[in-house]
Amino acid sequence: MRRAFTLLLLAVTPGVALAQASQFGVRGLGFPGRPFTARGLASGGAFGLFDPESSLNPAALGGATALTSVFTISSASMHQENPAGTSSTRNIRFPLLMVVGPVRGSKTALGLSYSSYTSRDFSVARAYTIDLRGVPVGVTDSLSSRGGLSDLRLAGSVGFKNGWQVGGGFHVITGSNRLEARRSFSDVNLLPSHQLAEVSYAGVGVSVGLIRQLGSGFAVAALARSDGHLNVDRDSTPVGKTDLPYTFGLGLRWHPLANLDVAGQTIVRTWSGANSDLLQQGGTGASNTLEVSGGLEYTPDPKRPYRRPIRLGGHYAQLPFPLIAGEQGHEYGISGGSGMRFAQQRGGIDLTLEHTWRSEGAYSEHGFTVTVGISVRP
Amino acid sequence: MRVAIVVLAAGVLLAGCEEKLTTPGQCPALCPGGESQVFDEVIEPITGADSSFRGYIQPYQSHALLVSNGLLGFEERGVIRFSRRPDSVGVRDTLRAYTVDSVVLGLSVVARDTSLNGVQVELYRLPPLIDSTTTYTALDPAFVPSNLVATIGLPDTVNFGPIRTLLQGADLATVAIPPADSGVLALGVRVVSPTPTGLRLGSIAAGTGATFTTYATLDVPDTGTAKLRTLGLSPQFNSSLAAVPQADDSTVLAVGGAPSARALLRFALPPRIRDSATIVRATLELTPVTTITGLPSDPVRLEARTVLADLGAKSPLGSALGRVPADTIPAGTSGLISMEAVRLVQLWQGTPSRPSALMLSLAPELESASFSSPVFYSSRAADPALRPRLHISYLLEFPFEKP
Repeated sequence: MRRAFTLLLLAVTPGVALAQASQFGVRGLGFPGRPFTARGLASGGAFGLFDPESSLNPAALGGATALTSVFTISSASMHQENPAGTSSTRNIRFPLLMVVGPVRGSKTALGLSYSSYTSRDFSVARAYTIDLRGVPVGVTDSLSSRGGLSDLRLAGSVGFKNGWQVGGGFHVITGSNRLEARRSFSDVNLLPSHQLAEVSYAGVGVSVGLIRQLGSGFAVAALARSDGHLNVDRDSTPVGKTDLPYTFGLGLRWHPLANLDVAGQTIVRTWSGANSDLLQQGGTGASNTLEVSGGLEYTPDPKRPYRRPIRLGGHYAQLPFPLIAGEQGHEYGISGGSGMRFAQQRGGIDLTLEHTWRSEGAYSEHGFTVTVGISVRP
Repeated sequence: MRVAIVVLAAGVLLAGCEEKLTTPGQCPALCPGGESQVFDEVIEPITGADSSFRGYIQPYQSHALLVSNGLLGFEERGVIRFSRRPDSVGVRDTLRAYTVDSVVLGLSVVARDTSLNGVQVELYRLPPLIDSTTTYTALDPAFVPSNLVATIGLPDTVNFGPIRTLLQGADLATVAIPPADSGVLALGVRVVSPTPTGLRLGSIAAGTGATFTTYATLDVPDTGTAKLRTLGLSPQFNSSLAAVPQADDSTVLAVGGAPSARALLRFALPPRIRDSATIVRATLELTPVTTITGLPSDPVRLEARTVLADLGAKSPLGSALGRVPADTIPAGTSGLISMEAVRLVQLWQGTPSRPSALMLSLAPELESASFSSPVFYSSRAADPALRPRLHISYLLEFPFEKP
């Protein structure tokens, strides 16, 4: 079995060499991140509101049994189609870094996480002809962005005897886009242009969450979060403010068998609050989003739950920032993965393979994402 | 161990993967900030603030001597004064007299009309006291047949390079230097051809000046042997003298000529261009007042240099590599002259203290050394279409902040 797992890992990792940057992250604040560990992503994010190592629900921190640090690497390869043509892209992200642990002698847990809020890594290129000084001139434009918004969260949770787990978090949302616009001309008398800028963002938010254990096999989780607004600066000069959404989440977890966990969750974000700001800034606006996910985790050996469990899941999500004003993109994804612990369960590795489809009108993309999570429990 | 290998393999494959992010663009959907627009603007020099100044390079400082027989409607002659030839040579600590066996006079042709055959160069004996104050009129009486030293036929196949004449026997009398001349030989150079033409000859400034070589025999009585000596002399002074002095018109922009002229053009660059625009093309457009004359097959090179500090005629000029727009203008050009000056205009951006001005001149090696001296209309021209102008194509700052 161990050999099989190794072979599986090596078989899927070449796909990593072809991996993504989403065209759906070009507008607005970028492509929204999913603050899940590799373990959480494998089951479609369905366990996210219950996962102490994901940075979604502060109440879930109470599930941490030992001081744990988690590092996640994600590599995506996408095939994109739009009216201008097709392309294959690949990129690497480090979407989540987290340290979580219980406070000794209490039912309290604390966690510090750094996760991707939105990603704005893209490069758009196009060639066309303009009329310059009465002469048609070939032009090649490219606009590139590196960066995005990150969510730095300090959170804590408290457990109560009657099965309640309550948590709260303070979020610092910060980041920058390093943007670069290049233009070259077919006429050698015209110099290529190269313009650079850094657009930086800063905001704060708070979140509260709770988990209620209902008997031995059923739990419910809820989340509410407010992210206030973002201050937007261009090269250290304030250029605007953008309202950030409220987030509401509800999750259910069922433990029907000793070796099976099933979960589902729904998250709503009120991105329409940013609509007027983004339109005023010249963007295409924003829409509220709904994210639904469901998944399961099957443990072959209930006595050793971390020994190569099988995780499966799927999700559907609406995308907040349309490419064309008035429309809304969405994505579907199915995922699977497993993991293992080693060194007396002090180290762990989780692997997830996810296939995603995204579309908005004539714009679409699909591809694979491989996520590796490494956890250490010193 | 196996687990470590798996972790290592996954990490290396993930982290070592090269990113590829480029997506085909489709505006407006995938164009946050919109499309960059290229703006065009024509800027004229500040009216009345463009001027010509003459006197930068004098004919005796130039990189070539101009000799012509009416190419520009008047004659130009070259004059050369060689350094002093000693009347004795030291041999075994004793100065001894010598006998001149032969003399070779050499010139270097820098440029000629390669399409014209039958060109000859005449060398005339001149009084030895020529200098920078000597005028064409003062020396004109010396260019008579009795002072003719030699005539050098310019081979039709020679486009440039050295030419020379050997004098010996009775011909040596034409270059004999009487004691009163203190060993100084001075020569005048004319060109003779079937139709008016010109020659550009090497000069002291370019290190290609004329040569005066004397082959002599020394009689050494103590040994009863004859010693051969070669006395090579280079010019101490050379210049070109024109029959018609250079005339200037303050309402136009003159460049070149002898002494050389330069034209200063001042522009008022709009703040939106000066402060933040990305200039992709800047073309300096000049309209010649008349057809540009000059030696056929020897085009002149026009340059524009940025002014580092506006001190009028004495403004220091920039000459940074790649920032000096230039254009080669053949004789006979009469239409609009365009020079790509984007690298120069870029120098005016970002430094408020730097003037938006440029100086037009011939290439340094052609100042006072070219038959071409273009004259352009200035900002004073009544017809706006004839005035100099700077045609700038630029992009404004890209609105990166637009989401």
